[in-house]
Amino acid sequence: MKRIFISFCLVLFMVVMVSPCAVNAAQPVKIGFVYIMSGPAATYGQFAKKGAELAIDEINKSGGINGQQVEGLFEDSTGKPDVGLRVMRKLVFQEKVKVLVGLDSSGVAKTVVPSIPQLKVPLIITHAATPDVTGSVCNRNVFRIALNLPQNVKTASLIAKESGAKKWNTIGPDYSFGHQSWEYFQQYLKAEMPDATFVSDDQAVFPPSKTTDFNPYINKLMQSNPDGILVSLWGGNLIDFIRQGKELGLFNGQYKILCTLGAATEVLSALGDKMPEGIWVGTRYWFLANPSERNKKFVDAYWNRYKEYPSYNAHGAYAAVYAYKAAVEKGKSTDTDKVINALEGLTVEVPAGVITIRPEDHQAITDAHWGVTAADPNYSIRILKPMKILKGADITPPVTETGCSMQ
Amino acid sequence: MLLFLISVGLTTVFGVMGVLNFAHGSFFMLGAYMCMQIMHIIPSFWIGLIVGPLLVALLGIIIERFLLRKVYGREVAFQLLLTFAILLVLDDGVRLIWGPAYHVVEAPALLAGVFPLFDKSYPVYRLFLVIAGPTIGLDLWSFFRFSKWGKIIRSASSDGEMAQGIGIRVPLLFTLVFALGTWLAAVGGALAAPHQSLAPSMGERIIIESFIVVVSGGMGSFPGAFIGALVLGLFESFGTVFLGRVQMAIPYILLAVVLLIRPYGLFGKEV
Repeated sequence: MKRIFISFCLVLFMVVMVSPCAVNAAQPVKIGFVYIMSGPAATYGQFAKKGAELAIDEINKSGGINGQQVEGLFEDSTGKPDVGLRVMRKLVFQEKVKVLVGLDSSGVAKTVVPSIPQLKVPLIITHAATPDVTGSVCNRNVFRIALNLPQNVKTASLIAKESGAKKWNTIGPDYSFGHQSWEYFQQYLKAEMPDATFVSDDQAVFPPSKTTDFNPYINKLMQSNPDGILVSLWGGNLIDFIRQGKELGLFNGQYKILCTLGAATEVLSALGDKMPEGIWVGTRYWFLANPSERNKKFVDAYWNRYKEYPSYNAHGAYAAVYAYKAAVEKGKSTDTDKVINALEGLTVEVPAGVITIRPEDHQAITDAHWGVTAADPNYSIRILKPMKILKGADITPPVTETGCSMQ
Repeated sequence: MLLFLISVGLTTVFGVMGVLNFAHGSFFMLGAYMCMQIMHIIPSFWIGLIVGPLLVALLGIIIERFLLRKVYGREVAFQLLLTFAILLVLDDGVRLIWGPAYHVVEAPALLAGVFPLFDKSYPVYRLFLVIAGPTIGLDLWSFFRFSKWGKIIRSASSDGEMAQGIGIRVPLLFTLVFALGTWLAAVGGALAAPHQSLAPSMGERIIIESFIVVVSGGMGSFPGAFIGALVLGLFESFGTVFLGRVQMAIPYILLAVVLLIRPYGLFGKEV
């Protein structure tokens, strides 16, 4: 009798444990965010969190996703692939998130992407730009709504062609991002402008990320005597490079300079009026680029809440939450398969513009925002004037070039 | 030359107190942030440069008095753990107060701009650093070498018990020496501020290089720190131009070669 009673208790216990999964309607939809929240690049995680929280609060105020409230859970990838995968597993298996959003580092992205199908949730990448995650290692569960490296560098090559500069050199971080930026740039510009020339490999400049003194690198750049320089440094490296380059006269007009990530707000606000005018800078999202109502609403809401201009990483996380909402409403379910089907080919309006997620490689066709740095009395940071907005369709390489074969 | 200042602080603390201070890089970072903070209140780099490091030295005194002092008698592992913990606390403290974003400090007008050197232009601020580093280093060296206080400190470091026996207050002395070490790191940080962007990670970057300098120069040796910093800096500059990517490995190769030939460092004495 006693044994039966214990068995009964056990069964009862199990039913109680399992039942929350059965009654889903009252539960919130959980979204797991994975960004770099600590270490040198922690500022990117902070931006993403601000954008994500703004989107979640807006959605919850206007009735949630399909009537369900949204809850955001944030984890720190620390920029390391093994940690990134571990926190993703934790979010999926322990916290039961329905979707993963995030990833700053391309190194993390490339390593974790092949494991995402095992987690049985979709992953929406909002920052990491490596071509591989929607190329050689692409898979059914992984999407990217932010501008990727080839799209951004393609834009750079179009601007380079118009600039008239013939001989090009580069300075970029000494890891795959810097090297790939340079390879794609040479390939695209060569196609656009057959008479363009590029310095030899040993003249191209790739300082390691820990560099703080760029003087020897800047001298090396100037010694190679280029007409144009592609700069793919970012964050603190870019700030140091620009300040030290300015002292050495790198920005006095002799060289055409294209900074692929120069219009990031963390760089512009740190430099303030020390940012030289007249250089071409790009970014994945520029808060003044899109004149749409949607963008204005986002920029105003962000400014009212945080008293700063939204950076591209804040926009990426914000846009991902809305893209997920659109996909769930399109598929009428938070079920992984239905969400993935809905995300494929999804067209959704985000602040950057109307984006379409390509079903073949899961890369969003999104506009690129570039411009020339200029002072404006209405802003404490340099703004882009004139701006150049290239349509997503014109800068996205065809699927055949990505090397993606979706199973 | 900044590397020299930081290494001198590290080597002093080690030479006199026998403490390997992992948190030294954090004091460097704190010096830069303090300088920036003071410049927000009083917009003068010079005041920031003088007051900022003094505040950091004050913090150094507090840390020595209430934390480090408790582990002097114990194994080296305790010191390493403790200073590493201080590093983590300081780094995240900075992140908490000033946020993870990048900051920029302006060089004073006097030191901005460039001057022509042969057919190249050279930033004035870097020349200032080249002069400031050895000046401070030389002052320190003569202080230790010739002044009465310097002699007391050296005697206390060679035999603490004996020094105490003849009436020197060794604990107080250690506090002052530690404050001096943190002050040096913070001056390095304040001097670096107009030259590089400020972020909570700047301390971690420099501590490794300064350890290489101190170890290859000889633990506790002043000229060793000077030569070590100079050699490392030169190798890095020329390596960038002539060797390309191999340059990244140079500091470590340098360290390995020095240790193989002279296990106690270039200017180290056998223990």
